Amino acid sequence: MAENYLLEMENIDKTFGTTKALDGVNLQIKRGEIHGLLGGNGAGKTTLMNVLYGLYKNDSGTIKINGEAVRILSPKNAIDHGIGMVHQQFLQVTNFTVAENIVIGTKPKSYPLMNLDEEIKTILALADRFGLPVTPTATISDLPLGVRQRVEIIKALYRGVKILVLDEPTTNLTPQEVDALFSSLRLMVNEGLSVIFITHKLREVLEVCDRISVLRHGKNVLTMDRADASEEAFVKAMVGEDLNVENSILYADQGLNEKLSNIGEEIVLEVKNLTVGMDEVPVVKDVSFSLRKGEILGVAGISGNGQLELLEAILGLRDIKEGTISLAGEEITNLETHKLLQRSISYVPEDRWQDGLLSLATVEQNLILGLHRQEPYSDGRLLKRSSITEKATALIDTFNIKTEGPHDTAGNLSGGNIQRLLLARSFSQAVDLILLHNPTRGLDIPSIESIYSLILERKDLGMATLLVSENLDELFLMSNHLIVFCNGEIMGRLKRSEFDKYSVGSMMSGIRQGEE
Amino acid sequence: MKKTRAFKPSTLGKQILPYLLAVLAAFIAAGIFLWLMGFNVLQAYQTILFTSFKSRNGFIQTLLKFIPLVLTALAFTIPMKASKFNIGSEGQLIFGAIGATATGIMFADLPALALIPLILFVGMICGALWALIPAWLLYRFNVSEILSTVLMNFISFSVLDYIATEVWRDPLAGHPTTIPISESGRLPLLVSSPPLHSGLLIVILVAVLVYIYTDYTSAGYELVATGANPKAAKVFGINTKILFLLALVLGGSMAGLAGAIEVAGKHHRLIEGMQSNFMALGIIIGLLSKGNHGVVPFVAFFIAMLEVGANAMQRTMAIPIEMVFIVEALILIFTLLSDTRKK
Amino acid sequence: MDLEQITGFIGLVFLSFVPYIFASQGTMLAGRTGQFNVSQEGVMLAGASIGFLVADRFDSIFIGVLAAMLVGGLFGLIYTFATTTLNLNQFVIGLALFFVGMALSTLAFKLVVGVTLSPPLIDTLKKIPIPLLSKIPVLGPILFNQNIFVYLSLFLSWFLYYFLYKTSWGLQLRAVGENPKAADSLGINVTATRYAAAIIGAMLVGMAGAYLPMAYTGTFTEGITQGRGWLSTALTFFGGWQPHTIFVGALFFSAVEVLALRVQVLRSGIPHQVLLTLPYIITLLVMVFGSRWVRIPGFLGKNYDREKRSVG
Repeated sequence: MAENYLLEMENIDKTFGTTKALDGVNLQIKRGEIHGLLGGNGAGKTTLMNVLYGLYKNDSGTIKINGEAVRILSPKNAIDHGIGMVHQQFLQVTNFTVAENIVIGTKPKSYPLMNLDEEIKTILALADRFGLPVTPTATISDLPLGVRQRVEIIKALYRGVKILVLDEPTTNLTPQEVDALFSSLRLMVNEGLSVIFITHKLREVLEVCDRISVLRHGKNVLTMDRADASEEAFVKAMVGEDLNVENSILYADQGLNEKLSNIGEEIVLEVKNLTVGMDEVPVVKDVSFSLRKGEILGVAGISGNGQLELLEAILGLRDIKEGTISLAGEEITNLETHKLLQRSISYVPEDRWQDGLLSLATVEQNLILGLHRQEPYSDGRLLKRSSITEKATALIDTFNIKTEGPHDTAGNLSGGNIQRLLLARSFSQAVDLILLHNPTRGLDIPSIESIYSLILERKDLGMATLLVSENLDELFLMSNHLIVFCNGEIMGRLKRSEFDKYSVGSMMSGIRQGEE
Repeated sequence: MKKTRAFKPSTLGKQILPYLLAVLAAFIAAGIFLWLMGFNVLQAYQTILFTSFKSRNGFIQTLLKFIPLVLTALAFTIPMKASKFNIGSEGQLIFGAIGATATGIMFADLPALALIPLILFVGMICGALWALIPAWLLYRFNVSEILSTVLMNFISFSVLDYIATEVWRDPLAGHPTTIPISESGRLPLLVSSPPLHSGLLIVILVAVLVYIYTDYTSAGYELVATGANPKAAKVFGINTKILFLLALVLGGSMAGLAGAIEVAGKHHRLIEGMQSNFMALGIIIGLLSKGNHGVVPFVAFFIAMLEVGANAMQRTMAIPIEMVFIVEALILIFTLLSDTRKK
Repeated sequence: MDLEQITGFIGLVFLSFVPYIFASQGTMLAGRTGQFNVSQEGVMLAGASIGFLVADRFDSIFIGVLAAMLVGGLFGLIYTFATTTLNLNQFVIGLALFFVGMALSTLAFKLVVGVTLSPPLIDTLKKIPIPLLSKIPVLGPILFNQNIFVYLSLFLSWFLYYFLYKTSWGLQLRAVGENPKAADSLGINVTATRYAAAIIGAMLVGMAGAYLPMAYTGTFTEGITQGRGWLSTALTFFGGWQPHTIFVGALFFSAVEVLALRVQVLRSGIPHQVLLTLPYIITLLVMVFGSRWVRIPGFLGKNYDREKRSVG
């Protein structure tokens, strides 16, 4: 290498179980640059940085700092080499103060005692220098996410980092906070630090980075200077060419539009003036919409804006404060969940591991959850075990679940197979209404396509689908109509012909339809 | 849902092998200790393993141990299915025994046909009620069942002591003991000498019923699903909070039945210390079975065999009976260790 | 009651306060690194038995206590090896070790002493009056005329408080129990911290056991702990896993215990069995109300695995 890099990662490999997360990845970072690390979900960005930070051990490959090979076996080694990392989920002890969180693991001046007066002065000086205001004596759990992020950055600066890694730092920030963050990063690189900025948001990368590397499926795709880059080149690099657009029925827009236009008259789900939430602040506010037979209604919104609560309210898992829900003309407000599942609602939850999977139970036990009191799995009292196994074997086959068999422990399955298992469960019976929450997140493209075909099959059979997703492409592709959520309220409604990323994006950030 | 027809020899072997290795390792570890202490290890192990099969008496003693052990194991495994831990079968057994004794004394005039079922029923109910207290504390106040069930044991010791010394004291006994229950309240014998009472049949019946409940019914499935992931079970319409309560109460009724059978079949009265170490052994059996109700009785028989062997060993070789208990605990620990290998 | 009776009563409270303090603070220490060990009752029994036997053999309470602490430390080592290193369920391992400790205590006693009606006796602990201070009226006899373990337990409670909240080691230890991933990411050795806390904590529990024959009976009897191990675990819980609140809770516990004994002696007409159940009933009640305000360490009962990926 002719150029003098501060950090070089060469041929990094990392395998989890059978999944190859990183496959011969290279990365070079110069002194005093903001380097964007761009890629979609599961591209390996975070894994690569966790290797750099010593949280994961790489299977092979070398890391060099200032041209010298170093061994990073633990975060301690990483810190000693001047590497700091701000994780997407902040690694903070929430019942400690800001100052305590910053100094843990270092030797304060009063060591071994804990008089932090000196340290607080240092923290305040750092905060001032880089434009990162914090209150050292505040307790973390009382602070908003934006401030907590500043604490994380100061934590790294306090340790004298030379390379600062930020993992999806803008996820929970307001636009103003994003601007402030970017100017702080500029101050840092002006003082000679290097910043690695992980994101899947292209615009941000183009706005703030000096150089950009793109990862896809655990492999390098390209590295470019900002000056040479076009938006288009990056989109291609991120998405890849392996999606054969011509041959995919789903992407043949015309056919799909036709397919989707076929909606029944009969209303399946009707939600009227629904308000959910026990406390003063409701999580779903005065929401009304209806869903017809064979219709797919998309719900857009940034995660945590009331979508989960809406689904759980329909399912009878949340106390409804006001409003009504009816299914096929009958009111089901506050009906018990098991009755609703029997009255043909099926559900694929967003949090697969927590809300969907019986990780300690077998695959077939998972497939009958919620259906365990009805045919063909039970006569109401006794389980029909041979019929369960038979049906489970068939579902494993149909949904292409990779497992040792119906008696395998479900917790042993990989992420994608767990999702196929949950989909198999909810698609195994004829129902009126299907509730899907981020059904394709983290899956590869062939799996996503097969899920889309399954949804369309159900649609043709007249089932109605409520599709909650954070993926706008998915929503635009699959929905007849779209409602946009922000802060538990519907910001706007769009017909398929009106779908437009810009206007949906502004509604997602709280601007009502037509307000602009 | 363990296999219905998938008992392929290879998978069965794979499942049993870690147990055999654990047993072997535990015996080797204990053997080294015994050898260092200067005991004849070979003779000790012969006594432990074969006493149950050497004589008619040995076998019947084993069955008599087997009866309460199956029930205290079930008292642990039923809540465990729902991911709750019942460390209170000792107290629940004592309360079952108290209920049985009280019934057997107060309704002494009833004919056997009425009194025996009544005794067993009251015993079960008393055990269940004793478990209901921690279960309710969990349901209502979210108090961890682990500690509350244990504390209930200590309370039951005092209650037993009070009844055996103040209420129905047997003045002739040197040890806190009540007067005997009515003749008509005693379980009929299957074998008269040495006596083997018909509690054995009840226990086998109960074990089969519990197995059917957890493995073959929709209600039992809800228990298993709750244990496998309470949150997901709840999202899919299972009332997990009630199931926690139900599982603990059901477990308590098993221990209560054990107490009633010990009274009606074996002691015919309440005796301080009658709970023996059934709770600890029941927990060991439950953990070794990994909550699989198809294998609980077999593991219970194995442990009963070791216990009878241990008694004989103490008599003939002066090796304390606790030696075998340590072996049993070691089997458990080694079995648990073998689990890490699979990951 | 006159003043002398009251000071006598409080003096006794401090006497029975010792095992609760050692066992609970030991449990707390391991708990603050995320380890919920339920083997206390067994470890106390083993400590009581072995501590007594060794003290008798060497005619030295000091060596006896040392042996009990070694036994406790061994239990702590096995516990943390199985949970921290092998990633096994903390509760199940704790339960298994409880069984081992329980059996070991009787086994060791039977093997060494045999079955006998007249077991050997050791001298129980002597009061060590502190010069001058013990002469202070009222406070003197209560606080400054006690056996050495009472002084030690007072010191330990203060020390642990100081250590956990006023030193940077304490901060690191607490961080491990709250959010091990955060601690790990800052270069703190989570595994080593857990080992140290579990072993030292279990040593204290073993010492708590050894105190019983040495302070009260002069010999070991089967089940000598009478549930004090479990009570200490409960005390740690509703003491909020903090040394100072545990201190107060232990005082309360021992006051109930001494009071129950006193009332029994007074022949009040209340059956003594009722009084014996008081500590357990009160513990249950406190657990009901305590669960509302108590904060448990964020990672209590869980095992940390650095490379475990979040699922989704």
